[in-house]
Amino acid sequence: MATDTKTAVEGFGQVSRTVGAVFRYVLLAATLVGIVALTVLLVFVANDAVRPLTADPGWHLTFFGTLVVPTLGLGGYLAVRDPESLWIGGMTVGLAVVSLLFAGGVAMIFVDIVTPVVWFAYVVALAAPSALVVGLHRSSVEPPYLLRLAVGVVAYYVSLLGLPGPVGGLAGVPQVVPSLANAVQSLPVLPVDWMLLLVSFSVLPAAVLAAYARSVAGGRAGLLVGVVALAVVALAALAGPAIGITTVPAVVLASVVVLPTAGYVGGVAATRPERRVGLLLPAVVVGGTLLGAVVVEAAGFAGPQSWVDWQFLTSAHSRNAVDAGLYPAIGGSILLMVTVALLSFPLGVGAAVYLEEYAPDNRLTRFIDVNISNLAGVPSVVYGLLGLGVFVRYLGSPSGTVLVGGATLALLILPIVIISSREAIRSVPDDMRQASYGMGATRWQTVKNVVLPRSFPGILTGTILALGRAIGETAPLIMIGAPDVLFSLPTELSSKVSAMPLQVFAWASLYAGPDFYEKAVPAGVVVLVTVLLAMNSIAIVLRNRYQSEQ
Amino acid sequence: MATDDFTDDLTRNTANAPQELVTRAFFFVCAALSVVTTVSIIVLLVTEAAKFFSLTAPLFGVTGETASIVDFLTGTTWEINNGKFGVLALVSATLMITIGSAVIAIPLGVATAIYLSEYASQDARAVLKPALEILAGIPTVVYGFFALIYITPAIKTVLPETGTFNLAAASVVVGIMIIPMVASISEDAMSAVPDELRQAGYGMGATKFDVSTGIVVPAALSGIFSSFILALSRAIGETMAVTVAAGSQANFLNPLDPTAYLEGALPMTAAMIKLLLSDITGGGVAYRSLFAIGLTLFVITLAMNVISDIIARRYREEY
Repeated sequence: MATDTKTAVEGFGQVSRTVGAVFRYVLLAATLVGIVALTVLLVFVANDAVRPLTADPGWHLTFFGTLVVPTLGLGGYLAVRDPESLWIGGMTVGLAVVSLLFAGGVAMIFVDIVTPVVWFAYVVALAAPSALVVGLHRSSVEPPYLLRLAVGVVAYYVSLLGLPGPVGGLAGVPQVVPSLANAVQSLPVLPVDWMLLLVSFSVLPAAVLAAYARSVAGGRAGLLVGVVALAVVALAALAGPAIGITTVPAVVLASVVVLPTAGYVGGVAATRPERRVGLLLPAVVVGGTLLGAVVVEAAGFAGPQSWVDWQFLTSAHSRNAVDAGLYPAIGGSILLMVTVALLSFPLGVGAAVYLEEYAPDNRLTRFIDVNISNLAGVPSVVYGLLGLGVFVRYLGSPSGTVLVGGATLALLILPIVIISSREAIRSVPDDMRQASYGMGATRWQTVKNVVLPRSFPGILTGTILALGRAIGETAPLIMIGAPDVLFSLPTELSSKVSAMPLQVFAWASLYAGPDFYEKAVPAGVVVLVTVLLAMNSIAIVLRNRYQSEQ
Repeated sequence: MATDDFTDDLTRNTANAPQELVTRAFFFVCAALSVVTTVSIIVLLVTEAAKFFSLTAPLFGVTGETASIVDFLTGTTWEINNGKFGVLALVSATLMITIGSAVIAIPLGVATAIYLSEYASQDARAVLKPALEILAGIPTVVYGFFALIYITPAIKTVLPETGTFNLAAASVVVGIMIIPMVASISEDAMSAVPDELRQAGYGMGATKFDVSTGIVVPAALSGIFSSFILALSRAIGETMAVTVAAGSQANFLNPLDPTAYLEGALPMTAAMIKLLLSDITGGGVAYRSLFAIGLTLFVITLAMNVISDIIARRYREEY
């Protein structure tokens, strides 16, 4: 017996640490395999597309000296002394880069897809009935809801489509009253393009900035900031042509890049003065880039002969790989994304609100629930077949148009939007709903004033990720008959559409050959992946902020 | 009078106010749209596939070429021009892609899930989880290009007999693509294991290794298995990567033969894309075969989703 106890005591506490340590590192390695593999592949493709080694050594040295060393130096210093301000600096740089990408897309829309006049006309045509609806809602007479609803629907219809509009058109009645949108477009005298954009587009970022300034520093500051913001945009439009940017892109650049970035910087400077040092980082990055560019220009160092260049971004497909470009496909992707967002956002959020806030716990609800999770697992080709069979063959829409492509992709991402919106809505604390009901609010008032504002960031994150999925989809577009090469930008919902991944696929398989493999395809992949990474990072930053607020 | 108005306001039944009914109806229509989508998918696939088979085609008044349902389900040759519609040739390729990607994604995905749920610090998770999401966010056509241009040549340097289009490279990228799916669903299942179980394990003198492999994984097993099935159903439906990298010749291969993975074949999804890109006349037998494959694909993936759901529900350890 004694010996037994002794052996047991000897064995006790002797646990091998090797197994645990090995296991831990094997797990870590396994976690990194996928990420590292993808990173390596992305580096390969970026190298093939941008070809940094074709640049002069002097070019690399210059930028290393003016940009890389100061940035790393300052970054390292901040990381040690004040990580929070490093984060702020990094955010500013990231915001500027992402908004620059976004500005490119918006400028493309205003230059080649929707002229500023048309845009302005539709903004007016939407604003006028909206003002009427709000006016009725606030008026002291308080007309009954159904009357207001009817007036609103009629007002929007007349304003956008005229009388009797397409409904009358079906019955063969000629147009009597032109729509407000058309009437504005046919006005004899209209301000020039950039002024139209200033009042119909730039007011939005300016108003957001003004509201932000008002919340920080009071009404006066808000007004001042709003006026200054609009002045900056106007100044950009006037000064742009002097440095070779035409007025419309200059207005877009000022509204989409300068205003948000300046707003973020100003906000940091005003509300968190102790973190101001972080703002040095963007200054160093911008200054280093400019300085490097000047030095390179002066010394005559040649930059890399990248395939991703202005020519690639602004020209159409060509049988010759060197001349091939992505422009129509980029435009198509933008239009598709807008269509998909407009269709899937209201429908997806509506369904999520119904299931979370209204649905009784019965069989129908459970069926819808199971149905949505199964729809999320249906392969994208099957959605493509749905688009082909229902929209194109059955409803007779022309194949391969923006509308059909957008509708198909919207159906594809709808389950994802619904599922993520439901999660966001579910995370709104129930106390807040109860408080709202306790104040006598109706269900719709609670949804409108409590649930939706509170869950909005989460819904937005899910929608952006879902849009990222839609923008990368190729198979459904092939199924609905989108042309794989397109030489002009789609300008209407009924124009044929191509998209970035579709163009890349066409180059990679239909025009397969070393020429396209080495040039056009890597360049296309780099552009596509850049857009997706930008969208993903917006979603991730939004989610992090939102989670830390809760 | 004033009091009367006041009472009236307070006791008004707002649940049936027009505004409430209208908004409720709108939200219901949004939710019901998903049912409409499912019904349209099923009706469309079933009717079009029925027109394809000679058994059911007369019911729809379809004349012209049709295919026998037995030949479709048991035939091993897919040659549209010769009227041979044997879907097994396509299914074998899809099966091989699924097996190949499972070999990569299942061990890596589960290991990732254990690491994230049991070992990783808060900071490491904050970096690793978004990075994994990006794996799933890269467009599949890009993965296809990677397989064709970088992975196939890499395999070729080791095994020179590899074809330009081969199933191995396609399986590798599909596997990488579905790692996040295995990882995130398994991790959710592992995180749901109550901490008391872990503490009890430590209290018994177990190491972290013992707790992870002996307590957490078995407790989360149903979630882990359902993640496998969901991820594999995603691999089956994966389209562009296999279209670009796996090949365009239908080839009936033996999935259990490792050397067969070095050959090219035509998975179901790639066959559909190929059909679409060739000039098929609308309403012809080739056009309808598209829906027959689509129906096969839909039934397989739906069955897998349902099975995964049942496993997750039925075999869940309740705490």
